[in-house]
Amino acid sequence: MSGVGGLFGLNPNSSKDERKQALMQGIQHETNVENARMLIEKINEKCFEKCIPKPGTSLSSGESLCLTNCMQKYMASWNIISAAYIGRIKSDPAI
Amino acid sequence: MDSQAAASSMSDFNESDRKELQQFIENEHQKAKFQTNVHNLTDMCWSKCMTAKISGTTIDKNEKPCLENCVNRFIDSQKTIVKQLDYMGGRA
Repeated sequence: MSGVGGLFGLNPNSSKDERKQALMQGIQHETNVENARMLIEKINEKCFEKCIPKPGTSLSSGESLCLTNCMQKYMASWNIISAAYIGRIKSDPAI
Repeated sequence: MDSQAAASSMSDFNESDRKELQQFIENEHQKAKFQTNVHNLTDMCWSKCMTAKISGTTIDKNEKPCLENCVNRFIDSQKTIVKQLDYMGGRA
């Protein structure tokens, strides 16, 4: 492992601005990966609970379809919640 | 590149570079905190509002206001509890 610089693809020979950009992109990438990881974890948990109430010997086609729909619905819910939360923060900055 | 080289590649960042990076990291931190809150709210409100069987990909007419109310009432609850704790603290 090559330290934080290597992690973000920094090369000591590149210019200062290039290294700064690489560092920022690396940090942003980490934030995005963590957000996606969290979303997948929640979708797994919630949609398994909802679509597979009694686990059988294999995933039925109905269960697979439910999982696909559930996933779409969970992401749509995330977006609605996000918008509602932003709206609330804007109108009520004390929180 | 070893960590020493990585460290030395950081060391020529001047004061304004460091300020810029610090601000950037602070913004990313705020973003991550916001996203974590949205994940937790979605988890809770999904349980409360999505009680029907999943039959399609779209959010139906009564689910959307339920999710929005859920967010707002959760924040109201939080404020009420903090206010109550404040009051109790004042009396103690």
